[in-house]
Amino acid sequence: MARPAVILVGADKGGVGKTTVSRTLLDYFASRKVPTRAFDTEHPRGTLTRFHPDITDVVDVTSVPDQMKIFDTIESSAAQITLIDIRAGLMLPTLRALRDIGFLDMAKKDQLNFAVFHILGPSIASLDEIAETSKFLVDARYFLVKNFINDTTFFDWDQRTYNSYFNRIKDAVELTIPKLNEMAFEQVEVASVPFLKFVANKGPHDEAANYSFVLRGYVRHWLANVWSEFDRIKLTDLVGAGKGGAGARGGEK
Amino acid sequence: MSSTPVYIICSPRPLVGKTLVARQLSEFLLLKNGTVAAFDINLKEPSLLDYLPGITETADVIDTFGKMQLMDRLIVNDGVAKVIDLGFHAFDEFFRMSEEIGFMKEAARRHVAPIILFVADTDRGSARGYDTLRQQIPARALVTVDNEFVVRGELPEALAHGRVLRLAALPVFLKTYIDRLSFSFTGYLRHEKDSSTELHQWIRRNYTTFRDLELSVMLQRS
Repeated sequence: MARPAVILVGADKGGVGKTTVSRTLLDYFASRKVPTRAFDTEHPRGTLTRFHPDITDVVDVTSVPDQMKIFDTIESSAAQITLIDIRAGLMLPTLRALRDIGFLDMAKKDQLNFAVFHILGPSIASLDEIAETSKFLVDARYFLVKNFINDTTFFDWDQRTYNSYFNRIKDAVELTIPKLNEMAFEQVEVASVPFLKFVANKGPHDEAANYSFVLRGYVRHWLANVWSEFDRIKLTDLVGAGKGGAGARGGEK
Repeated sequence: MSSTPVYIICSPRPLVGKTLVARQLSEFLLLKNGTVAAFDINLKEPSLLDYLPGITETADVIDTFGKMQLMDRLIVNDGVAKVIDLGFHAFDEFFRMSEEIGFMKEAARRHVAPIILFVADTDRGSARGYDTLRQQIPARALVTVDNEFVVRGELPEALAHGRVLRLAALPVFLKTYIDRLSFSFTGYLRHEKDSSTELHQWIRRNYTTFRDLELSVMLQRS
């Protein structure tokens, strides 16, 4: 039986596209029929829950009862994967809390699979957090996610700066999330549906929708590129989900 | 189920005769079917809108909104043939977008039949443009237009492999005549009593070619 897996998606700053990445992950696992649950820590209103209400709970990750709700149920939950969308600025405090409750030890003892997607912003302050974060992740997979929500270059024009951040942590793996057409992104926001449903021209309750063919095409193409990155890092293997079910590949349906 | 044809007249080069082909094809389809929807994506070249204002609307692929306005119309199987006069400035962006959003695949799914009429030139830009199209357009949907006035009998071999539609050159004085904004090909056929004139025969020959093209689209889909 596969070990349960926990994926943390976090960032030090808001607005870097953390929840967007969480949504692509949830769609990826859904397409592969991997049972997944999600916790949205943007308490009280939530952001992730708007797009995946059936599998997402809004929690206050700083409160002990909600921490118990998440971590005491990892092994007993029917979901093979628990994804936690960490509120901006709370990633390091959350990792400290996980260390203190022994969660990181469980990962060390191979009792579960643990992966962190660190969504980077285009600032030195954001990149400075890489070293801090990596200290907690000795027994976890650590992914540095460059989310191109604008025309940022993440300092790749300055090799010294780039290498000092991106090549310093030995086992950290870079992931690139390409930019999605702004209008397409906004239409999905308005529709409040998962990316997959938008591509399939479906509404929140699977009813037929009337989204723009052009925007659906842009989302389909973008999602395929994002999922090819997840395929490249063998994400389903990492989280113990194996090859998954008979779902669609790469967003292209 | 019958398909709605979408004729995209294009070239990465200016002044090769795209608008001339678009005009004639639009008038032919209007004569034959009673209706046609034409789209003019041009900046400074002679404009389809100027010749056929009653059936033409402007379009652009500069921004997302323009692309949505155009492509969301093209993908509808409403039985009304569409003609797009794609200006040379928009060639690269249009086909890049088309590839990215999966236009050909979606069109097939919705019983819309895009036909790309690539108006040839003899230079490298034209060859490169054709190469781009060959990679994304199925052979049956890609037609090279050999405009004798431009190519002068020297159609590059690379452009002659697939289907070719030939447009004979007119004498310069007749070309000037048909370039007038008020000139109508169908109008000329109707009002010119002498059907043996060069221009009459030229128009009829082209209309026959378009009829055969339309028939081939229908046969492919059946």
